[in-house]
Amino acid sequence: MSTANHNSGRQHTVPPRTDTFDCVRCGLTVTTVDPAGGRRNHCPSCLHSRHVLDRVEGGPSECLARMSPISIAVLRSGDWMVVHRCILCDELTSNAIAPDDNQLILIRMAVRPLAHPPFPLEVFGEW
Amino acid sequence: MARRKPAGRRPQRYKDVTHRRTGRGDAFRCVGCRLDVPLLAPGTAHRNHCPHCLTSLHLDRRVPGDRAADCRGRMSVLSMSVRADGEWQLIHQCQSCGVLGANRIAGDDNPLALIRLAMRPLTDPTRPIRALLTL
Repeated sequence: MSTANHNSGRQHTVPPRTDTFDCVRCGLTVTTVDPAGGRRNHCPSCLHSRHVLDRVEGGPSECLARMSPISIAVLRSGDWMVVHRCILCDELTSNAIAPDDNQLILIRMAVRPLAHPPFPLEVFGEW
Repeated sequence: MARRKPAGRRPQRYKDVTHRRTGRGDAFRCVGCRLDVPLLAPGTAHRNHCPHCLTSLHLDRRVPGDRAADCRGRMSVLSMSVRADGEWQLIHQCQSCGVLGANRIAGDDNPLALIRLAMRPLTDPTRPIRALLTL
């Protein structure tokens, strides 16, 4: 009887905070809940993700390949999003960043366009 | 990461949609600023966005030119990405269904709009300082 009471008290309506996944690129074991309380889907160390959801067709995807971060998007609210691209099927997804994401990789992606400008940037100094 | 020999210019995907046969002529009108845009663009064969305001229309699903999406929503520009060979790419997001798409910039795109888009993450006053403090 005491066992039954114990089991009924442990019903998980929300996923437990101790869920982890392994990064498919760097192998880091990551908790699925970030420090701010949201769910994360990319590794905080290398920002790579995994293609498990299909946005175009809907539902789970059978691709399961690695998704590499390609860009930083800034919403109107000022929040940053990471745009991922699947390395196998080239699908794009966007995800919110977590507070403990690697800031150096984020800034490196943000300044990357200015390192390869397609036109000279000197003309903008006169405007 | 293995360092590869730089392979020349990446070939563009074959496009089997002819706009003349469908009766649309050789220009489209931008849904954002109503500018008449010719389909011929310097530097690209897959122009899909307005060179003035960079807005696009959600017509294709997976392959450029397949016209398989029945959404027809406005795709506003979301961010700027860079390929490994240094070419800039626009990331569009559909305003009605939320799907994302990527397209290379064309030679006559507005440079001020491109630079404003590329500088958008760096105008955040707090986050670059946080990145420097982690060094």
